[in-house]
Amino acid sequence: MINVLEMTKKYGKFTANDRISVTVESGELAVLLGPNGAGKSTLIKSVCGLLRFQGNITIGGYENHTVDAKRLLGYVPEFPVLYPMLTVAEHLEFIAKAYRLNQWEKRAEELLARFELDDKKKKLGKELSKGMQQKVSVCCALLPQPQAVIFDEPLVGLDPHGIRELKAVIAELRDSGCALMVSTHMIESMEDNWDVTYIMVKGRIERVCRRGDLEAGQSLADVYFSITEGKEKEAVQ
Amino acid sequence: MSSLVFLLVRSAKNSFLELLRKPAKLILWVLVVAGIVGLFVLTMFTQESAERSADLVWLKGALLFLVLIFAIIAVQKGLSNGDVIFDMNDVNLLFVSPVSSRKILMYGILRMAKMAFLAGFFILFQSNSLSSNFGVGFWAVFLVLLAFILAVSLLQIISLLIYSLSNGRPKRKRIVRMITALIFLPLVVSLAVQLIRTGEPLTAISNTLNAPVASWTPVVGWAADAVVSVISGDLGRGILFFGLLAMTGVILILYIAFSNPDYYEDVLVATETTFEKKRGLSEGQINGEAISGKKVKISGTGIGGVGASAIFYKHWRESFRANTLGFWGMSSILTVCGAIVFSLFFRKGGGEGILVLLQTLMWMQIFFIGTGRGLKELYMHYIYLIPESSFEKILWSNFEIACKVLAESIVIFFAAGLIIKASLFMILACTAVYVLFSFMLLGINYVSLRWTGADISNGLMVFLYLIAVILIMLPGLAAAIVIGSLLGKAGVLTGLAILAIWELAAGMGCFWLSRSVIHRCDMPVMKTVK
Repeated sequence: MINVLEMTKKYGKFTANDRISVTVESGELAVLLGPNGAGKSTLIKSVCGLLRFQGNITIGGYENHTVDAKRLLGYVPEFPVLYPMLTVAEHLEFIAKAYRLNQWEKRAEELLARFELDDKKKKLGKELSKGMQQKVSVCCALLPQPQAVIFDEPLVGLDPHGIRELKAVIAELRDSGCALMVSTHMIESMEDNWDVTYIMVKGRIERVCRRGDLEAGQSLADVYFSITEGKEKEAVQ
Repeated sequence: MSSLVFLLVRSAKNSFLELLRKPAKLILWVLVVAGIVGLFVLTMFTQESAERSADLVWLKGALLFLVLIFAIIAVQKGLSNGDVIFDMNDVNLLFVSPVSSRKILMYGILRMAKMAFLAGFFILFQSNSLSSNFGVGFWAVFLVLLAFILAVSLLQIISLLIYSLSNGRPKRKRIVRMITALIFLPLVVSLAVQLIRTGEPLTAISNTLNAPVASWTPVVGWAADAVVSVISGDLGRGILFFGLLAMTGVILILYIAFSNPDYYEDVLVATETTFEKKRGLSEGQINGEAISGKKVKISGTGIGGVGASAIFYKHWRESFRANTLGFWGMSSILTVCGAIVFSLFFRKGGGEGILVLLQTLMWMQIFFIGTGRGLKELYMHYIYLIPESSFEKILWSNFEIACKVLAESIVIFFAAGLIIKASLFMILACTAVYVLFSFMLLGINYVSLRWTGADISNGLMVFLYLIAVILIMLPGLAAAIVIGSLLGKAGVLTGLAILAIWELAAGMGCFWLSRSVIHRCDMPVMKTVK
């Protein structure tokens, strides 16, 4: 569903992503891990069509800038940015109208109730806390029922209820056949559901790890630290 | 070396080294410095021809007005959050360190003076106009800059003091408002009396500026009179007013330092607010309404349209929620009022004044066009992800500003035309030129983004945009002037028609070239500077 092939993104002389290839099938949860500055957000923004790049990115077989690809894609950005003068309900209405959705009201109600936003429908975007804004951002991304969803640090700023619900939503989306790409620093939050993990260091994918690749008793965190800290030790030596 | 001196020196050194690492920024600075030096040289050569100079009272008026704007802002800031003299890193690192709070205050004030210098940087470009209008040399520019820095620094200290004394005390805030009104009341009364007596706005302003009431108005009058006195040879009076500015600043600093050494709380809110604003900008929230404390009444709800047109209906809802008059915000009202006042000065000019108004508004529009919701939309991810064609999304996202400009220009030019007694055709021609110029500017903005991919600094982007505006307008202007001047009486109208047609063609060309901009540029990020 999400196919990134030999993607390179440069800012002047600085290479943020260097010949990255990533594949996420339908019903698969891919986790992007890596230290700060590894290039995870750049990769995600490129997939979502927010950045120019060299290489090839397709969503459901469509080039990622096309209208067909956009129809399949949902995106939850790292920093939730809402329209300050729109209410929570109007954010969802705007998405519904812009995406030409039919009979979206019931789903919108369900999403708002799930993230405890149903009593805040008339609150303006600017009146919400960071965590609330993040929840609205998730609702906006999921309202069009996309077949591929990209999450950039989705759990940051959420309260415990929000974290639990979002983790449950991510699991449900995966079970329903949605392709998911999640960038996070909270490795343990994805331990239960991940299928494939891409560990990025300095703009490159250092390791692709499938759940079946793990040895007995080995966790995702063990793999991550063996890659990131192992390299540092080698460099020092 | 003390920690504060180290901070100042190292920050300056690192800023310089950063400049060397960024060639585009370096080139921009070299061009700016070359421009200033070039203007100085030009001033020296044109001084001889500048004997017939304008009355210095207008220089005094311009300075007084400029400082007055900063005074109003300073009082407003003092009554809300206080002025910003520190950065968040100062709060996190310096305020908790074992360094005397008085020394830290001095450090903050030094940084503040640097900010005042940067705010007055544009004054350095005025040497040629000062020379040609008032017959003064380039040294006058430094005098104006000195007075500006002193006045703005003093106003920032006053702002800090107002906040420190009135924070959380409504009664004191009322007293501050009353004192502010009382300070400026004599100036307003004097102007009103002169207007009634003479019936001529220009004469009334000139008489008021020449009266002692203008010179002795605190800070604004002192700064204006200090400059004009020194230029006109009255050194004693100049030193007196410069001294007043400096002495008041010193006394207020000493008062704050000794009466309230625990001033940290007083500067914290403003520093945090500014920090949040900068963070919001870098995270994509460039909409000023997000940080506005203004209470919003939610009456009508809902969004119309479908597909790309939903963007326009969303803008419509946002605008009417932010302002009772919809897309007509305070800036529109100020522009209309300003244009009407402007027209009053030209009402005896036989209709020619409307062209001066058009020219002024076009200059302003170059910078104000970016305040529309359409261009701001590019800093958020939504518009990129909506599954509609890039061109349709651009068109609908700018429909609101098109309506705004059309409504504004009709009101402005018809009101101004009535006052100036311009012909109906002239009013219509000016309206068309202004509306189509705005359309063209929008197009140039998108072409700049398309061409650069938004992968350059904001400063360089503005610079390229200005160059593009000049280059694209040049052929149309040249054709309008040449053909218009050949046609005698009907020349002005013909020239305006040619200009309008050129703007339409250039605007359409720019929009066509940038039709896929949403798919062909990086989502811009507002880079904030310290």
